[in-house]
Amino acid sequence: MFTDKIELKDLDKMDPEYRDLIGRVLTIQADCEIGGPHLYVEKMLPGAPTKLDQLIVARTAAEEIDHFRKVARVAGDMGVDVSFVLSQPNEKRFVDSFRGLITTWEDNAVFGFLIDRIGRYQLEEFYDCSYLPLQRILPDIVTEELGHIEYGYNKTRELLQKGDAQKERVQRAIDYWYVRALDMFGRSGSKRAERYRYWGLKRRTNEQAREDYIKEVNPILLSMGLNIPDPLKGRRYL
Amino acid sequence: MPQPISHIEQLDEHLVEVVRALHGAVKQGVSHADDAKIADKAIEDCKEILDVIMAGSVKEWLN
Repeated sequence: MFTDKIELKDLDKMDPEYRDLIGRVLTIQADCEIGGPHLYVEKMLPGAPTKLDQLIVARTAAEEIDHFRKVARVAGDMGVDVSFVLSQPNEKRFVDSFRGLITTWEDNAVFGFLIDRIGRYQLEEFYDCSYLPLQRILPDIVTEELGHIEYGYNKTRELLQKGDAQKERVQRAIDYWYVRALDMFGRSGSKRAERYRYWGLKRRTNEQAREDYIKEVNPILLSMGLNIPDPLKGRRYL
Repeated sequence: MPQPISHIEQLDEHLVEVVRALHGAVKQGVSHADDAKIADKAIEDCKEILDVIMAGSVKEWLN
């Protein structure tokens, strides 16, 4: 297991696999950061229920754009150009969850609650990772992601207080996003995930991270009076 | 030392400005959330900025 800490200046001396893995993970992370606003800005900026919510949609997008910028900078400094994801159509996003359009406020709330939480999980993988330029950008990004998760959770709770019909709509959104969230961790037993761990770039296997997520989210869903969806129904990556 | 991509500095600076402008508009709107006219103008400003980013014409931004 690789335990050194690497600066940008040391990168040329590293094994090509190491550079490839960092380039790959930065590209996917950049795609996910900008993929969020591409999902919700079009319909939710004009469609949020109050002016304050509209402004918070804009603020969330601003923060995600800034996360993209920070990730793109780390990638660009090492010679990896991720700017193509800025103009990538949604259907070509790397991760399935970002390949659509959010058109309802329930989906927007649940997206923050469940999917931004995955963002936090993915970023936490790089805590204390071997590539220091990546490690340095994490604290501010994670802090803002925590804000998005909390906002999504609060908005989901607000919706649940509006009666049974609204609760059904929230449950449908949960059913849709929950399995996508679980898929976002990738395949169990992934060989590439093992290589990330070998090079000290990630801490957990895909299945460990997914299990931690389930242990965190399921009790929250139950405490909100929601059902836990079948974790296997509609899954693509087991 | 790896060679950075040629436009990274410019892209970074452009996005810093975009994010700053967005936060400025949001702040203006939130602090006047009771005044529909000011809030609407702030939302409109955000929309204008975000429309450009969502269009993703990076070459145009950097020219």
